[in-house]
Amino acid sequence: MISVADLLTNNQVPSNYFATDVYIRSELELGLLENRRGDRLLAMPETLIKAIYSGLDKETGQASRLVLYNCGRWWGKNFYARLSEELTDYYKTPIADMAIGDFLQYMKQCWVVHGWGKIDWDRTAIHHGFLIIETRNSPFAAHVMKSDRPACFLDAGVFSAFFTQLSGRELYCIQTTCESIGADSNRFILGLEARLKPAEAMVESKLSHEEIVQKLMEG
Amino acid sequence: MHPEIAAIFQEAESRYLKPEELTSLTQYVESLPERLETYRQLQEKELEILQEVADLLQEKMPQEEISNLERSIKNAVLVLRYCATAMLLNNELFLKKRLLDWLRSTQQVYDSKTIDATLYKLLNSQLSQSLTPKQMNLLNPLLTLAETTLLAD
Repeated sequence: MISVADLLTNNQVPSNYFATDVYIRSELELGLLENRRGDRLLAMPETLIKAIYSGLDKETGQASRLVLYNCGRWWGKNFYARLSEELTDYYKTPIADMAIGDFLQYMKQCWVVHGWGKIDWDRTAIHHGFLIIETRNSPFAAHVMKSDRPACFLDAGVFSAFFTQLSGRELYCIQTTCESIGADSNRFILGLEARLKPAEAMVESKLSHEEIVQKLMEG
Repeated sequence: MHPEIAAIFQEAESRYLKPEELTSLTQYVESLPERLETYRQLQEKELEILQEVADLLQEKMPQEEISNLERSIKNAVLVLRYCATAMLLNNELFLKKRLLDWLRSTQQVYDSKTIDATLYKLLNSQLSQSLTPKQMNLLNPLLTLAETTLLAD
Protein backbone atom coordinates (compact mmCIF):
# COMPACT_ATOMS: atom_id res chain seq x y z
CA MET A 1 0.00 0.00 0.00
CA ILE A 2 1.14 3.56 -0.65
CA SER A 3 1.77 5.54 2.51
CA VAL A 4 1.27 9.24 1.90
CA ALA A 5 3.28 10.09 5.03
CA ASP A 6 6.25 8.21 3.57
CA LEU A 7 6.09 10.27 0.38
CA LEU A 8 6.82 13.42 2.37
CA THR A 9 10.28 14.36 3.58
CA ASN A 10 10.16 16.42 6.78
CA ASN A 11 6.50 16.88 5.96
CA GLN A 12 7.47 18.54 2.67
CA VAL A 13 7.18 17.79 -1.02
CA PRO A 14 9.62 19.64 -3.28
CA SER A 15 7.83 22.02 -5.56
CA ASN A 16 8.84 24.30 -8.41
CA TYR A 17 12.29 25.51 -7.29
CA PHE A 18 12.48 28.13 -10.02
CA ALA A 19 9.02 29.70 -9.47
CA THR A 20 9.77 33.27 -10.52
CA ASP A 21 8.41 35.14 -7.52
CA VAL A 22 10.17 32.82 -5.09
CA TYR A 23 13.46 32.43 -6.92
CA ILE A 24 14.33 36.06 -7.53
CA ARG A 25 14.72 38.32 -4.55
CA SER A 26 16.19 41.68 -3.94
CA GLU A 27 18.08 42.87 -0.90
CA LEU A 28 17.12 46.50 -1.13
CA GLU A 29 19.39 47.77 1.61
CA LEU A 30 22.45 46.15 0.08
CA GLY A 31 21.36 47.03 -3.43
CA LEU A 32 21.58 43.37 -4.46
CA LEU A 33 19.51 41.17 -6.67
CA GLU A 34 19.73 37.57 -5.44
CA ASN A 35 18.35 34.13 -6.01
CA ARG A 36 16.58 32.24 -3.24
CA ARG A 37 19.87 30.89 -1.89
CA GLY A 38 21.39 34.33 -1.67
CA ASP A 39 23.65 33.98 -4.72
CA ARG A 40 24.02 37.28 -6.49
CA LEU A 41 22.15 37.85 -9.73
CA LEU A 42 22.90 40.51 -12.26
CA ALA A 43 20.46 42.08 -14.66
CA MET A 44 22.26 42.76 -17.90
CA PRO A 45 21.25 45.71 -20.08
CA GLU A 46 20.67 44.87 -23.73
CA THR A 47 23.08 47.59 -24.74
CA LEU A 48 25.87 45.77 -22.90
CA ILE A 49 25.18 42.58 -24.85
CA LYS A 50 25.22 44.60 -28.07
CA ALA A 51 28.43 46.33 -27.01
CA ILE A 52 30.19 43.02 -26.27
CA TYR A 53 29.22 41.63 -29.66
CA SER A 54 30.21 44.73 -31.57
CA GLY A 55 33.43 45.32 -29.59
CA LEU A 56 34.54 41.74 -30.19
CA ASP A 57 33.65 41.95 -33.84
CA LYS A 58 35.63 45.14 -34.26
CA GLU A 59 38.70 43.88 -32.44
CA THR A 60 38.83 40.25 -33.48
CA GLY A 61 36.65 39.94 -36.60
CA GLN A 62 36.01 36.31 -37.55
CA ALA A 63 37.76 35.12 -34.40
CA SER A 64 34.94 36.59 -32.31
CA ARG A 65 32.96 33.40 -33.01
CA LEU A 66 35.58 31.31 -31.28
CA VAL A 67 35.96 33.81 -28.46
CA LEU A 68 32.21 33.76 -27.83
CA TYR A 69 32.07 29.96 -28.06
CA ASN A 70 34.84 29.68 -25.48
CA CYS A 71 33.25 32.28 -23.20
CA GLY A 72 30.08 30.22 -23.44
CA ARG A 73 32.02 27.06 -22.55
CA TRP A 74 33.40 28.71 -19.43
CA TRP A 75 30.00 30.03 -18.47
CA GLY A 76 28.24 26.72 -19.22
CA LYS A 77 30.65 24.74 -17.09
CA ASN A 78 30.24 27.00 -14.08
CA PHE A 79 26.53 27.31 -14.64
CA TYR A 80 26.21 23.52 -14.59
CA ALA A 81 28.09 23.34 -11.29
CA ARG A 82 25.81 25.94 -9.73
CA LEU A 83 22.62 24.45 -11.10
CA SER A 84 23.66 21.02 -9.97
CA GLU A 85 24.36 22.29 -6.46
CA GLU A 86 21.06 24.15 -6.25
CA LEU A 87 18.94 21.27 -7.55
CA THR A 88 20.68 18.66 -5.40
CA ASP A 89 20.24 20.86 -2.37
CA TYR A 90 16.55 21.44 -2.95
CA TYR A 91 15.38 18.11 -4.35
CA LYS A 92 17.76 16.09 -2.16
CA THR A 93 18.80 13.98 -5.16
CA PRO A 94 22.08 14.16 -7.08
CA ILE A 95 21.52 15.16 -10.71
CA ALA A 96 22.86 11.78 -11.85
CA ASP A 97 19.98 10.07 -10.02
CA MET A 98 17.24 12.41 -11.22
CA ALA A 99 14.75 11.20 -13.80
CA ILE A 100 15.71 12.88 -17.07
CA GLY A 101 12.11 14.12 -17.50
CA ASP A 102 12.29 15.91 -14.15
CA PHE A 103 15.70 17.37 -14.85
CA LEU A 104 14.62 18.79 -18.19
CA GLN A 105 11.58 20.36 -16.53
CA TYR A 106 13.81 22.07 -13.97
CA MET A 107 16.07 23.33 -16.72
CA LYS A 108 13.14 24.79 -18.66
CA GLN A 109 12.03 26.72 -15.59
CA CYS A 110 15.58 27.79 -14.92
CA TRP A 111 15.81 29.33 -18.40
CA VAL A 112 12.57 31.23 -18.01
CA VAL A 113 13.37 32.58 -14.56
CA HIS A 114 16.72 33.97 -15.74
CA GLY A 115 15.11 35.73 -18.69
CA TRP A 116 16.92 33.62 -21.29
CA GLY A 117 13.72 32.74 -23.14
CA LYS A 118 12.25 29.28 -23.56
CA ILE A 119 14.21 26.10 -23.97
CA ASP A 120 13.05 22.74 -25.27
CA TRP A 121 14.51 19.51 -26.66
CA ASP A 122 13.84 17.34 -29.60
CA ARG A 123 14.78 13.71 -29.14
CA THR A 124 14.39 12.73 -32.81
CA ALA A 125 18.06 11.96 -33.25
CA ILE A 126 18.87 10.82 -29.73
CA HIS A 127 19.39 7.18 -30.72
CA HIS A 128 21.91 8.31 -33.30
CA GLY A 129 23.85 10.14 -30.60
CA PHE A 130 22.59 13.68 -31.24
CA LEU A 131 20.53 15.87 -28.93
CA ILE A 132 18.68 18.82 -30.40
CA ILE A 133 18.07 21.89 -28.25
CA GLU A 134 15.64 24.56 -29.24
CA THR A 135 15.44 28.05 -27.72
CA ARG A 136 13.00 30.87 -28.33
CA ASN A 137 13.09 34.57 -27.48
CA SER A 138 16.79 34.35 -26.71
CA PRO A 139 18.17 37.73 -25.58
CA PHE A 140 21.54 36.70 -27.01
CA ALA A 141 20.16 35.87 -30.46
CA ALA A 142 18.31 39.19 -30.51
CA HIS A 143 21.52 41.23 -30.61
CA VAL A 144 24.09 39.16 -32.49
CA MET A 145 26.04 40.86 -35.27
CA LYS A 146 24.00 40.65 -38.44
CA SER A 147 25.03 37.74 -40.61
CA ASP A 148 23.29 35.39 -43.01
CA ARG A 149 24.28 32.36 -40.92
CA PRO A 150 23.29 31.29 -37.37
CA ALA A 151 25.36 33.38 -34.97
CA CYS A 152 24.67 32.36 -31.35
CA PHE A 153 28.19 31.16 -30.62
CA LEU A 154 27.93 32.10 -26.96
CA ASP A 155 24.83 29.90 -26.53
CA ALA A 156 26.44 27.05 -28.49
CA GLY A 157 29.42 27.19 -26.12
CA VAL A 158 27.12 27.15 -23.07
CA PHE A 159 25.25 24.06 -24.32
CA SER A 160 28.43 22.28 -25.29
CA ALA A 161 29.95 22.66 -21.81
CA PHE A 162 26.68 22.14 -19.95
CA PHE A 163 25.82 18.85 -21.66
CA THR A 164 29.44 17.73 -21.56
CA GLN A 165 29.23 17.99 -17.77
CA LEU A 166 25.84 16.33 -17.67
CA SER A 167 26.72 13.40 -19.91
CA GLY A 168 30.33 12.98 -18.86
CA ARG A 169 31.38 12.93 -22.54
CA GLU A 170 32.99 15.78 -24.44
CA LEU A 171 30.23 17.20 -26.62
CA TYR A 172 30.40 19.70 -29.43
CA CYS A 173 27.57 22.00 -30.46
CA ILE A 174 26.55 23.64 -33.72
CA GLN A 175 23.63 25.91 -34.45
CA THR A 176 21.40 25.22 -37.45
CA THR A 177 18.65 27.85 -37.21
CA CYS A 178 18.74 31.32 -35.70
CA GLU A 179 16.12 33.87 -34.71
CA SER A 180 18.54 36.58 -35.86
CA ILE A 181 17.98 35.52 -39.48
CA GLY A 182 14.25 35.12 -39.23
CA ALA A 183 13.88 31.51 -38.01
CA ASP A 184 11.08 30.73 -35.54
CA SER A 185 13.60 29.39 -33.03
CA ASN A 186 17.28 28.75 -32.45
CA ARG A 187 18.17 25.10 -32.94
CA PHE A 188 21.39 23.56 -31.71
CA ILE A 189 22.70 20.05 -32.31
CA LEU A 190 24.90 18.41 -29.70
CA GLY A 191 27.08 15.39 -30.32
CA LEU A 192 30.63 14.05 -30.41
CA GLU A 193 32.88 16.48 -32.27
CA ALA A 194 34.14 13.98 -34.84
CA ARG A 195 30.59 13.06 -35.85
CA LEU A 196 29.17 16.58 -35.71
CA LYS A 197 31.98 18.49 -37.44
CA PRO A 198 30.72 17.73 -40.99
CA ALA A 199 27.52 19.61 -40.13
CA GLU A 200 29.46 22.89 -39.97
CA ALA A 201 29.94 22.84 -43.73
CA MET A 202 26.24 22.03 -44.15
CA VAL A 203 25.31 25.11 -42.09
CA GLU A 204 27.71 27.17 -44.22
CA SER A 205 26.04 25.92 -47.39
CA LYS A 206 22.65 26.83 -45.86
CA LEU A 207 21.10 23.38 -45.66
CA SER A 208 17.91 23.32 -43.59
CA HIS A 209 17.89 21.99 -40.03
CA GLU A 210 15.89 18.93 -41.09
CA GLU A 211 18.30 18.15 -43.92
CA ILE A 212 21.29 18.46 -41.62
CA VAL A 213 19.74 16.19 -38.99
CA GLN A 214 18.82 13.66 -41.67
CA LYS A 215 22.36 13.62 -43.07
CA LEU A 216 23.87 13.30 -39.62
CA MET A 217 21.62 10.37 -38.81
CA GLU A 218 22.54 8.67 -42.06
CA GLY A 219 26.07 9.26 -40.80
CA MET B 1 -2.90 38.94 -1.00
CA HIS B 2 -5.79 39.20 -3.42
CA PRO B 3 -4.54 41.14 -6.47
CA GLU B 4 -7.44 43.59 -6.12
CA ILE B 5 -6.53 44.37 -2.51
CA ALA B 6 -2.85 44.64 -3.36
CA ALA B 7 -3.74 47.10 -6.13
CA ILE B 8 -5.82 49.17 -3.69
CA PHE B 9 -2.82 49.64 -1.42
CA GLN B 10 -0.54 50.43 -4.30
CA GLU B 11 -2.84 53.07 -5.69
CA ALA B 12 -3.48 54.64 -2.29
CA GLU B 13 0.12 55.69 -1.91
CA SER B 14 -0.59 59.34 -1.18
CA ARG B 15 -4.27 59.39 -0.26
CA TYR B 16 -6.82 57.66 1.97
CA LEU B 17 -8.72 54.65 0.63
CA LYS B 18 -12.00 55.43 -1.15
CA PRO B 19 -15.24 54.07 0.39
CA GLU B 20 -15.57 51.32 -2.25
CA GLU B 21 -11.96 50.31 -1.67
CA LEU B 22 -12.61 50.10 2.06
CA THR B 23 -15.67 47.94 1.34
CA SER B 24 -13.59 45.44 -0.66
CA LEU B 25 -11.02 45.37 2.11
CA THR B 26 -13.70 44.90 4.78
CA GLN B 27 -15.25 42.02 2.86
CA TYR B 28 -11.91 40.27 2.66
CA VAL B 29 -11.12 40.84 6.33
CA GLU B 30 -14.55 39.60 7.35
CA SER B 31 -14.05 36.42 5.35
CA LEU B 32 -10.71 35.75 7.03
CA PRO B 33 -11.88 33.81 10.13
CA GLU B 34 -13.69 31.30 7.90
CA ARG B 35 -10.68 31.10 5.59
CA LEU B 36 -8.35 30.52 8.53
CA GLU B 37 -10.60 27.83 9.96
CA THR B 38 -10.77 26.07 6.57
CA TYR B 39 -6.99 26.27 6.31
CA ARG B 40 -6.61 24.75 9.79
CA GLN B 41 -8.98 21.94 8.93
CA LEU B 42 -7.03 21.16 5.79
CA GLN B 43 -3.76 21.22 7.64
CA GLU B 44 -5.08 18.92 10.31
CA LYS B 45 -6.85 16.44 8.04
CA GLU B 46 -4.46 16.49 5.11
CA LEU B 47 -2.84 13.13 5.73
CA GLU B 48 -6.11 11.41 6.56
CA ILE B 49 -7.80 12.78 3.41
CA LEU B 50 -4.92 12.01 1.09
CA GLN B 51 -4.31 8.55 2.55
CA GLU B 52 -7.92 7.69 1.86
CA VAL B 53 -7.53 9.05 -1.68
CA ALA B 54 -4.33 7.03 -2.15
CA ASP B 55 -5.98 3.80 -0.96
CA LEU B 56 -9.00 4.26 -3.22
CA LEU B 57 -6.78 5.23 -6.16
CA GLN B 58 -4.77 2.06 -5.80
CA GLU B 59 -7.97 0.04 -5.61
CA LYS B 60 -9.34 1.66 -8.74
CA MET B 61 -6.13 1.42 -10.74
CA PRO B 62 -4.47 -1.83 -9.67
CA GLN B 63 -2.80 -2.24 -13.06
CA GLU B 64 -0.95 1.09 -12.78
CA GLU B 65 2.69 1.20 -11.70
CA ILE B 66 3.08 2.27 -8.07
CA SER B 67 5.73 4.86 -8.97
CA ASN B 68 3.29 6.60 -11.33
CA LEU B 69 0.57 6.65 -8.68
CA GLU B 70 3.04 7.96 -6.12
CA ARG B 71 4.15 10.77 -8.44
CA SER B 72 0.54 11.87 -8.94
CA ILE B 73 -0.22 11.67 -5.22
CA LYS B 74 2.84 13.75 -4.40
CA ASN B 75 1.65 16.34 -6.89
CA ALA B 76 -1.80 16.25 -5.32
CA VAL B 77 -0.21 17.04 -1.94
CA LEU B 78 1.29 20.13 -3.55
CA VAL B 79 -1.99 21.05 -5.23
CA LEU B 80 -3.90 20.81 -1.97
CA ARG B 81 -1.31 22.83 -0.06
CA TYR B 82 -1.16 25.57 -2.70
CA CYS B 83 -4.97 25.60 -2.91
CA ALA B 84 -5.09 26.11 0.86
CA THR B 85 -2.69 29.03 0.73
CA ALA B 86 -4.39 30.55 -2.32
CA MET B 87 -7.73 30.25 -0.49
CA LEU B 88 -6.27 32.03 2.53
CA LEU B 89 -4.88 34.80 0.35
CA ASN B 90 -7.95 34.79 -1.88
CA ASN B 91 -5.56 34.73 -4.81
CA GLU B 92 -6.02 32.30 -7.69
CA LEU B 93 -2.96 33.66 -9.45
CA PHE B 94 -0.76 32.41 -6.62
CA LEU B 95 -1.89 28.86 -7.37
CA LYS B 96 -1.70 29.22 -11.11
CA LYS B 97 1.64 30.95 -11.45
CA ARG B 98 3.55 29.23 -8.68
CA LEU B 99 2.35 25.72 -9.23
CA LEU B 100 -0.16 24.83 -11.93
CA ASP B 101 1.73 26.01 -15.02
CA TRP B 102 4.72 24.02 -13.88
CA LEU B 103 2.75 20.93 -12.85
CA ARG B 104 0.96 20.94 -16.16
CA SER B 105 4.20 20.67 -18.09
CA THR B 106 5.51 17.99 -15.70
CA GLN B 107 2.30 16.07 -16.21
CA GLN B 108 2.78 16.20 -19.98
CA VAL B 109 6.24 14.69 -19.62
CA TYR B 110 4.88 11.76 -17.63
CA ASP B 111 1.54 11.46 -19.38
CA SER B 112 -0.29 11.13 -16.07
CA LYS B 113 -3.63 12.61 -17.05
CA THR B 114 -5.61 9.38 -16.72
CA ILE B 115 -4.37 8.84 -13.17
CA ASP B 116 -4.93 12.50 -12.31
CA ALA B 117 -8.51 12.45 -13.59
CA THR B 118 -9.38 9.63 -11.19
CA LEU B 119 -7.31 11.09 -8.39
CA TYR B 120 -8.92 14.55 -8.41
CA LYS B 121 -12.40 13.05 -8.49
CA LEU B 122 -11.53 11.06 -5.36
CA LEU B 123 -9.90 14.08 -3.75
CA ASN B 124 -12.97 16.17 -4.36
CA SER B 125 -15.28 13.65 -2.81
CA GLN B 126 -13.00 13.13 0.23
CA LEU B 127 -12.77 16.87 0.78
CA SER B 128 -16.57 17.25 0.59
CA GLN B 129 -16.86 14.68 3.36
CA SER B 130 -14.26 16.35 5.57
CA LEU B 131 -15.16 20.03 5.16
CA THR B 132 -18.40 21.91 5.74
CA PRO B 133 -20.28 23.17 2.64
CA LYS B 134 -19.21 26.73 3.51
CA GLN B 135 -15.56 25.67 3.68
CA MET B 136 -15.91 23.76 0.41
CA ASN B 137 -17.30 26.93 -1.18
CA LEU B 138 -14.10 28.75 -0.31
CA LEU B 139 -11.88 25.96 -1.59
CA ASN B 140 -13.87 24.98 -4.66
CA PRO B 141 -12.88 27.74 -7.10
CA LEU B 142 -9.24 26.81 -6.54
CA LEU B 143 -9.77 23.07 -6.82
CA THR B 144 -11.71 23.66 -10.01
CA LEU B 145 -8.93 25.82 -11.39
CA ALA B 146 -6.42 23.08 -10.58
CA GLU B 147 -8.58 20.40 -12.18
CA THR B 148 -9.36 22.35 -15.33
CA THR B 149 -5.71 23.25 -15.77
CA LEU B 150 -4.41 19.76 -15.16
CA LEU B 151 -7.12 17.78 -16.89
CA ALA B 152 -7.70 19.98 -19.94
CA ASP B 153 -6.74 18.57 -23.35
